[in-house]
Amino acid sequence: MDDEYISIGKAAKILGVTPTTLRAWDKKGKLAAIRTPGGSRRFSIKKIRIFLGDSLYNQATEWLDAPNGTLPPSDFYCPNTAVFQSRIEDLERDLRQNPALDASFSLIVAATSEIGNNSFDHNIGNWPDIRGICFGYDAAKGQIVLADKGQGILKTLKRVKPSLNTDAEALKTAFTEILSGRAPEERGNGLKFVRKVAPIANMDIFFQTGNATVEISKENMRLDIRETPEYISGCFAYITFKN
Amino acid sequence: MNIELKKFGTVLTSRQAGKEASSAFAPTVNEIGDDQDILVDFDGVTTFSPSWGDEFLRPLHEKFGNRLVLKVTDNLSVKLSLEILEESNGIVFRKN
Repeated sequence: MDDEYISIGKAAKILGVTPTTLRAWDKKGKLAAIRTPGGSRRFSIKKIRIFLGDSLYNQATEWLDAPNGTLPPSDFYCPNTAVFQSRIEDLERDLRQNPALDASFSLIVAATSEIGNNSFDHNIGNWPDIRGICFGYDAAKGQIVLADKGQGILKTLKRVKPSLNTDAEALKTAFTEILSGRAPEERGNGLKFVRKVAPIANMDIFFQTGNATVEISKENMRLDIRETPEYISGCFAYITFKN
Repeated sequence: MNIELKKFGTVLTSRQAGKEASSAFAPTVNEIGDDQDILVDFDGVTTFSPSWGDEFLRPLHEKFGNRLVLKVTDNLSVKLSLEILEESNGIVFRKN
């Protein structure tokens, strides 16, 4: 996921500056961009996050890259659904303190819960590495991160749709198709809900499973699924929202 | 019969919790008479998700069909979760 690059407009939005400022920063080397063959600037998501000092993102991805058996940071570790539920209720309490989120807090909480509970529902008893998930948030900055070292969407979805062969196909199915056959495992429609509510709640979501990534935002409703050389075994979600 | 969802909690989000609520409530559901409507009241629920709803509401709809009536609120997570449940299961909940 470190090889992901975004446009100057999107980078400006994330950083809360104008594109003109970003061009100046690029010239000064303060936040260097690469150029497309057509000459447009592209900014590295990783560099932007480091620039922002995004410890949530960095701590979760460092855990995903850590050797097997490594626990997530203790503040973020949810070994079971009871702990996750308790922290989801904390998230709701914190978001409700912000009047700007009066209408949307419930969608942010519900979407976060669907992503996290998917990890538990589809890996229970079958965790290949650490049991449970890494879940952290910063209500003031409008950031949420969820990560698991589970089996990934392809392996779990293949049980109900054996024709799936790649992480990208599995990711697309998870976000778009209604699966009627629930056996042999319960497969809800949580990620379709996430996609539906993201633009309504002004959420931008980056999601990765295996080597497939997708970004969902109000500006990008088409499901732009890409493959990345940075493979992860489970799932990773990074949510940002306006607050 | 009225079912006040807030009695199960105000943050109703996980499949596991929905399943537990459904199991725990089954004896009460089994006592409902043939001529009674079942009113599910969302008042007081602050966050609701499709997973919880799938485990709790879908069995009620299978058992009672249009005798199941949902008293919804303007909470967006309630509204949009019900939409996803209707799309996923090919059903339309009766609402008031």
